[in-house]
Amino acid sequence: MIKQSDGIGLSAIISPENVIFISGSPSKEEAVRQLTEKMLPRVDGLIGRKALFERVAEVEKLNQVLESGFYIPHAKFPQLDGFQAVLGIIPEGFTDQATGLKVRALILLLSPHKPAFFQRHLNMLSLLSQTFQPELIDKLAALKEPAAAAALVTGK
Amino acid sequence: MVPNPRFKQVFVLSTAMLSFISFWKAAAIVLCDFGSSAYYSGGIAMRAYGPAFPWFVLGVMLFAGVMLAVYVESCSMFVRGGVYVVVRHAMGKFVAKIAVSSLVFDYILTGPISAISAGLYISYLAKSLLEMAGVQFPFSPNILAVVFGVAVIAYFWKENIKGVKESGDTNVRIVLFVAAIAVVLLAWSFFTIYVRGFTLPPFKLEFSEEALGWSKHISWLQPIGMIGIFMAFGHSILALSGLESMAQVYREIEDPKVPNLKRTAIIVFIFSVLFTGVLTFLSSLIIPAELVAGEYSENLLSGLALHLHGPYLARLALQILVVISGGLILMGAVNTSFVGANGILNRVAEDGILHDWFRRLHPKYGTTSRIITMVAALQIVIIILSRGNIFLLGQAYAFGVLWSLVFDTLSLVVLRFKETEIEREWMFPLNIRVKRYQVPVGLISVLVVLLITGVMNLITKPTATIAGLVFTAVFFTIFQVSEKMNEKKAQLYKPDEDKDEELNLRREADIQTVVPELTKARRVLVPVRNPNNLHHLTEVLETADDETTDIIVLSAKIAQGIQSGGESMSDEDKEVFSAVVLLAEKYGKTVKPIFVFSNDPFFSMAQVAQAAGVDEIVMGVSGSTGAEVQMERLAMAWGMLKKPDAPAKPVLARVVWEGRQMTYQLS
Repeated sequence: MIKQSDGIGLSAIISPENVIFISGSPSKEEAVRQLTEKMLPRVDGLIGRKALFERVAEVEKLNQVLESGFYIPHAKFPQLDGFQAVLGIIPEGFTDQATGLKVRALILLLSPHKPAFFQRHLNMLSLLSQTFQPELIDKLAALKEPAAAAALVTGK
Repeated sequence: MVPNPRFKQVFVLSTAMLSFISFWKAAAIVLCDFGSSAYYSGGIAMRAYGPAFPWFVLGVMLFAGVMLAVYVESCSMFVRGGVYVVVRHAMGKFVAKIAVSSLVFDYILTGPISAISAGLYISYLAKSLLEMAGVQFPFSPNILAVVFGVAVIAYFWKENIKGVKESGDTNVRIVLFVAAIAVVLLAWSFFTIYVRGFTLPPFKLEFSEEALGWSKHISWLQPIGMIGIFMAFGHSILALSGLESMAQVYREIEDPKVPNLKRTAIIVFIFSVLFTGVLTFLSSLIIPAELVAGEYSENLLSGLALHLHGPYLARLALQILVVISGGLILMGAVNTSFVGANGILNRVAEDGILHDWFRRLHPKYGTTSRIITMVAALQIVIIILSRGNIFLLGQAYAFGVLWSLVFDTLSLVVLRFKETEIEREWMFPLNIRVKRYQVPVGLISVLVVLLITGVMNLITKPTATIAGLVFTAVFFTIFQVSEKMNEKKAQLYKPDEDKDEELNLRREADIQTVVPELTKARRVLVPVRNPNNLHHLTEVLETADDETTDIIVLSAKIAQGIQSGGESMSDEDKEVFSAVVLLAEKYGKTVKPIFVFSNDPFFSMAQVAQAAGVDEIVMGVSGSTGAEVQMERLAMAWGMLKKPDAPAKPVLARVVWEGRQMTYQLS
């Protein structure tokens, strides 16, 4: 049985160091690419550049923008022991071609590819989609600093 | 719960709750047709072959138990069964068209014979009351019965055009009232016999000239011995009318289907033996024979009430109650004739052997008004032509009853050899295993009895034979021509714009309007998409407790950029709904089908689940994404729609596929 309530908070995965602001109105692929670049040093020694980009690109085809306008490209890697995340904020936003929704915040989430971790992976996806509602995204888009964005998201 | 205003609402199409009925209600529906023959079969049999009639009516009622068992086997094979489906599977469409033509003849005659019989009971009561009041008003009960019959047919024609369907509750009330009167009649009859003593009716066949038909001209076919017994049996067989109702009602019977069908059959059997068989028998013991053949040949049970031992006013009161109960059950049978004929003709129309012209829906009520009007017109013509002669109607009636039973039984015999792999939850007894076949000795014996009786009826009932053959030929021709026309039309197929109405869909403002229909303690949401991938729904239907669980079946159509609410279902979408309905009928469990237009099926899944407060979501595995991705999408949609102040009710999400499942608890 996989249970959702396991007490993981967003502060465990979001800090000023893994928040980036993306200027202009990039394509979805470009936004994900920038988040992957930012992710690379965080998984250095565990996942190679090629493997990371290829896997993210592969699973990105299956991921969908949520109705709230929030996007969570996510992938699982057996080399990881915990979550790794990069939050991207795009004040101007981009329009998702598949859904027609305007995306101004997205988070690249990497999770351990281990059966026992799948419950926490689902819990995290649920928590992220619950947290990043249109009101919060509006506020994030108005910010300039990663630290302020991390504080707003984590409530600290 | 108010819908989350931040998100675009899904557009919802909903059908009525697919609910199922208890075996009590099913038995009541069958008895409203099958039980009604108690009011006229005895009198018709008496006029045909004399004082031995109670033995044969009782015998036919005992034989009804055998035929009910035949129907249990056929229903256990085909949820949406009945004569047409069984014969088509066994012997193909050509023979099925002949069989269903004779069945339609049976259903159409059910209306006139029931309406005339009710009219005769009322007419004779009116005559008694007028005579008691000293009023001399000469009138013919038969003419009054014709007027009454036409009025009854007109009433039920109008009601059926409006779409007033048979209500199981109404049928239960009618049958309970009739049963109460039957108990009084039985108890009072036994008391009368105790006081007066009795003499058993002679087992002596005295055929009327009319009842011998063409056999008078066949020297070797004398009405004696076994030949006479089969002739008399044939003249009583009309008491079996209404068995097809059991096949029609089977799809509506709740879980567990076959055990409940058996219970239905047992109730119908006991009621029929006591009500039709025993009461007819008691009538012959209590009413003087000359009156059975004369004054009471058209209202036998009224005669029984009036000849019981006791004060006249009490007997008259009982006669009034008998007439009321007869009126109710016979008019129930008239309605059944409309519902049954309409249902069967719609069934064959779905199979492409009745032209779409007949199926055109009424612009206001959405009913198949042309079929209903055709049935009513035929019934009124038959009533007028009969001039209220119930004996004539009874003769003709037996044709449809008997030949539809012959085709049904013959088909079951054929299927034992043709479809050895098909699941039979119950088989008619007396079978001998020979290699992979269950040789149906019992069924073959029943078939032999029916065939001999059928041939005897063809010979002894010239009017019925001619009328039945002509009617069957006309309907068969209509089916043949329709099929050819539909084949041509299929090559020039155009989508039907009115398909939504055929599924009786209704458009809802949002999902909240559907929620009050869910009343059970536990709720399970089953999203469906592919009619060939319903393993998960099967698993839920097999395990859910229908008493405590509402099963909501959600079909979400991906419609990008939906805004207007003017979307409609495609044929593929309807195929999913039809597959769901068939599965629900197979297991007899209540389901609530909901169809939504959404740009994200997982969004609509989570939205419906949260709005309905479900306890469990059971998904089938997706071949394109796999169970893990399905769970991820559901988790995201669930979180996105979850309100911070929503109660932390645990909801189990499951992805089920052959032999495996993945579970996740949402909260």
